[in-house]
Amino acid sequence: MRKLEEVLEDWEAVIGLEIHAELTTLETKMFCGCKLEFGAAPNTHTCPVCLGMPGALPVPNKAAIESIVLAGLATNCDIEKRSMFYRKNYMYPDMAKNFQTTQGPVAFCMRGHLDLAVDGPAAKERYRLDKLAPGDVDGNITRTESGYVAHVGITRIHMEEDAGKMVHLGGGEGRIAGATHSLVDYNRAGTPLIELVTEPDLRTPEEARLFMQKLRQIYLAIGISDCSMEEGSLRCDGNVSLRRRGATEFGTKTELKNMNSFKNLHDGLAYEICRQAEVLEEGGQIYQETRHWDPSKKCTIVMRVKETADDYRLFPEPDLAPYDLSDEFIEGVRAKLPELPDEKAARYEADFALSAYDARHLVEHRVTANFFEACMEAAGADAAKLAKPAANLIINDVTAQMNADAAFDLDACALTPARAVELVQLVSDETISSKQAKEVLSAVLAEDADPAAIVEARGMKQVSDAGAIEAVVDAVIAANPDKVAQYQGGKTGLIGFFVGQCMKEMKGQGNPKLINELLAKKLG
Amino acid sequence: MTQHLTERDVRNIAEYARIGLTDDEVAEMTVDLNAIVDSLSPILEYDLEGVEPTFHPIGGLSNVMREDVCEEGFSQDVALENAPKRQDGNFLIPSILGEGGDR
Amino acid sequence: MAQNFSCLGAAELRRGLLAKEYSATEVARDALFRVRALDGAVHAFLETTEELALSQAAALDAAVAEGRGAELGPLAGVPVAFKDNMNLAGTHTTCSSNMLRNYVSPYTATCVQRMLDAGALGLGKLNMDEFAFGSSTETSAFGPTCNPWDVERVPGGSSGGSAAAVAAGLACVTLGSDTGGSIRQPGSFCGLVAVKPTYGVVSRYGVVAFGSSLDQVGPFARSVEDAALAMNALAGRDPLDCTSQAVDADFTANLAEGVRGMRVGVVPAFMEAQGLAPEVRAKVQEAADHLRKLGAEIVEVDLPNAQAAMSAYYVLGPCEAFSNLARFDSVRYGYCDPGHADLGAQYEASRHRGFGPEARRRIMLGSYLLSSGVYETYYYPAQQVRTLITQDYARAYEQVDVILAPVAPRTAFRFGEVTDPTSMYLSDMFTISINIAGNGGMSMPAGLGADTGLPVGVQLIAPQFKDENMLRAAAALETVYGPAPVAPAFAPGAAAPIGAEADIPDAAQAVPGVDLPGGPWQQDAGVAGDQDVPDDARGQIAVAEGAAEQA
Repeated sequence: MRKLEEVLEDWEAVIGLEIHAELTTLETKMFCGCKLEFGAAPNTHTCPVCLGMPGALPVPNKAAIESIVLAGLATNCDIEKRSMFYRKNYMYPDMAKNFQTTQGPVAFCMRGHLDLAVDGPAAKERYRLDKLAPGDVDGNITRTESGYVAHVGITRIHMEEDAGKMVHLGGGEGRIAGATHSLVDYNRAGTPLIELVTEPDLRTPEEARLFMQKLRQIYLAIGISDCSMEEGSLRCDGNVSLRRRGATEFGTKTELKNMNSFKNLHDGLAYEICRQAEVLEEGGQIYQETRHWDPSKKCTIVMRVKETADDYRLFPEPDLAPYDLSDEFIEGVRAKLPELPDEKAARYEADFALSAYDARHLVEHRVTANFFEACMEAAGADAAKLAKPAANLIINDVTAQMNADAAFDLDACALTPARAVELVQLVSDETISSKQAKEVLSAVLAEDADPAAIVEARGMKQVSDAGAIEAVVDAVIAANPDKVAQYQGGKTGLIGFFVGQCMKEMKGQGNPKLINELLAKKLG
Repeated sequence: MTQHLTERDVRNIAEYARIGLTDDEVAEMTVDLNAIVDSLSPILEYDLEGVEPTFHPIGGLSNVMREDVCEEGFSQDVALENAPKRQDGNFLIPSILGEGGDR
Repeated sequence: MAQNFSCLGAAELRRGLLAKEYSATEVARDALFRVRALDGAVHAFLETTEELALSQAAALDAAVAEGRGAELGPLAGVPVAFKDNMNLAGTHTTCSSNMLRNYVSPYTATCVQRMLDAGALGLGKLNMDEFAFGSSTETSAFGPTCNPWDVERVPGGSSGGSAAAVAAGLACVTLGSDTGGSIRQPGSFCGLVAVKPTYGVVSRYGVVAFGSSLDQVGPFARSVEDAALAMNALAGRDPLDCTSQAVDADFTANLAEGVRGMRVGVVPAFMEAQGLAPEVRAKVQEAADHLRKLGAEIVEVDLPNAQAAMSAYYVLGPCEAFSNLARFDSVRYGYCDPGHADLGAQYEASRHRGFGPEARRRIMLGSYLLSSGVYETYYYPAQQVRTLITQDYARAYEQVDVILAPVAPRTAFRFGEVTDPTSMYLSDMFTISINIAGNGGMSMPAGLGADTGLPVGVQLIAPQFKDENMLRAAAALETVYGPAPVAPAFAPGAAAPIGAEADIPDAAQAVPGVDLPGGPWQQDAGVAGDQDVPDDARGQIAVAEGAAEQA
């Protein structure tokens, strides 16, 4: 198979996502008062309603309706005041009533969108981005300095209920294939679930990943779900089709399942795009089918071929009264809307003169955004001056720490906002170098001590004495006449070599800015 | 009488509704269903342009909801007491391979 | 010593308890005795609940003994029983289907609980058409129920057991459910006050659903007052049923007011309907005359779209039933056909053998009518027709306070007389439009038909949430026709008693997963006709007769 970048030269990938989120922060299920709890003993959170006992009737959870309206407001959707629940009828053992209660043509939330900022390596998958200049618009994207912004439409977000959980026995690895028996646990049955469906506006696996990440940030910010992809409270299916560059007709799409991490989402879609391209290029045909991403084998496999459109016998649920939401209800929910990540980023740009890139990365996690704000508070009058280095510390060093150690808890670690500010202050007033700062950070975390104390104890202070530095610079130049000649002959990249030699001489404590300035002057 | 459904249609419906029918029952069901569907024809004769459907005969009742408060449910024993087959606190079913459903 | 308490009225029973003429425990024991002594001839009961009846009675007796008589509920000491589609914890709730013959309820329906909370003594569960699909109770997997007025005939259906139990004096009040006429038609066939309230008046929680937008629970009784007392207990908002509504009416309040000044509508198209038996038409006309003489104004009203109700019903009912019955899948409860290695085969065999032919037909019909393409042709238009019918009634009630109509086109028919499904469906031709629109309707006994000599009911139809209107008109008719009698062969002191002893299983033996005994395949059970009555059962009747004079 060809590489994704090559495939996307010839083919345009059209991707739409269906994203399910369980409303795990609620107390009870969608249509009954059973407790929502992950990992309880099987069938201990059940009642006549969620077990589908004869005669049981559903009663909707008001907080779930508030949550979906909140999700709609946070994703720029129109809130439909009038909507209904429907029954989606098909028999499957994890669904106690053998119909799923979901919504019909009109969902609570319709016609929303998210704008995705795509830059850095993520932007490379986009076809011929280099042909656009900042500000240029091409379809749903706008070129920016660092990449582009994609406007991704949200068709709808509807309210439904989750199914129970099954364990398959007798086959390999708990899989359904080959199993002789299955066990059904209805604890999860009836968990409030919201399904967001995007327009087919995504064109690269990176955009899909970024959309999912951004949506997750939003759902976390508004507090409606724990959004755990591992535990399945946030799940994503992708619809993918290809068409030749320049074509306007959509190709046949396949539906991709089991993309239970951001990486799997990206890699599954990337594989499927390449697979479809190969089939099409060999004169084959894409069948409308559901495929399963196997991360260990790194390929997608067919689960089910859809010969005809599924006929779920959808009809309005007679047991549930229709909705006619009042302005008061909707405005009540709107009042609960917290500052969203985009708004927070814009505020950081405005208040602290951060770049859009820095601001966006700070708000990726609520914990880093909160930490940054605590730092700015601790910095007091120096906030404006320290914002950029503080942001850098968080985006680079702290995030690296978080990525390296899943158990790392920024809120509970030895690096308090006050210590972080102290650390960047030490760099800012040139007491230590940024290289030294990394060592101090490690020491802070390991020893639970203040940065200034560590610098003092280790004698790490940066040497900014011009005379002392000049002596070293002179010695290094004298010791490397051939390199000096090359430099002066045009190989200006060698400046790094000279800086490195000077730093080595000074045991890493020389002020790199001064060293650079003196070297440039003396070599120049 | 109009043939609304063929025996093949009836077999497909039975498959969807998960009711096993013998050949004789399919034949009989086809006759019965066609007769019943024939009797529904008055529905087809109405001019219903612009008439709103009444899915819920409950007047203006809407937005009926409950608060997000836990209620006591079944113990595991009670949940499972009517189950034809059970194992380790779960409902037990035979192999489901080949079942329909959008999973 | 049998005292036939179940043949008394609710108010009389309560009065006697308070006056300490008898205890509730005596009432309960006597009522259970009467059920076991006589039910063999009608087969109304599927299961008794002796422990429940006696524990309810003991609580009432304790209250009386402790001087808390004022706390007794309005149905204190009233022997009641429930259609077997109503969950009552610890009892089988079979819906008269092989699918559920091993299902024991882990919870209790709101309507059942409210009757018990009002002080009623729960005697047991009652036979019905399988899943309420039918108009004769012949589709029960436990065998049919007989009409106490003529045991060769059907009691009507689907709430046939509920009707037969009250008509035979085996209970004072029973509950039934009505989706297209399943309370009113058996009420008419058995000569009872039988009320289907406005949709939303009584909670459906715990009542096994047939057509969710059509089903409504209501009482059978032998007097309007008893029916109204039961309505008072049943009515009102239930947080467990989203479609139930607050009701603040006292249904007994205006029963004595009479109909002076009331406007009563009659529908000419109903009176001229093809298939309406002359004796039934004559009874409706007679009832109209009585109401006029009592001071009501008779007004002709038109329901131009009512003739489409039947078609709309046979679209909507099966569609909802198809979906409601999908849960019977052999996984969590109910019949599971043994020996299948894959679930698909287990599903198909379990649902094939668990459901009877009529249930299968309705499920299949619903599945067809909801399929894409067909939905647009039938389902959606049926819901639009529902709007037109609802508007018809609303317009009619601008002119009248209640509508008078036939209930069923004829009196009770013989077993096996009506066999093809479409003819059976015509039993509901005058009742269905009321379910479609959601209004309240009731059957009020108007004596015996001139031709068949069997009970004939007339239907009173109320505006939505004005169920008190029809009860008031019914009470006026009752002043003419008198309260409904216990069927003659079952009345205390009957000249030719035909009751027969019955071996009815009791809920004390109910074990989840174990079949409720009974049914036509058991040689010693089944429908007992006159010729099957053992001599000792006749002896029991004699005891009952003797006691009746004392009561």
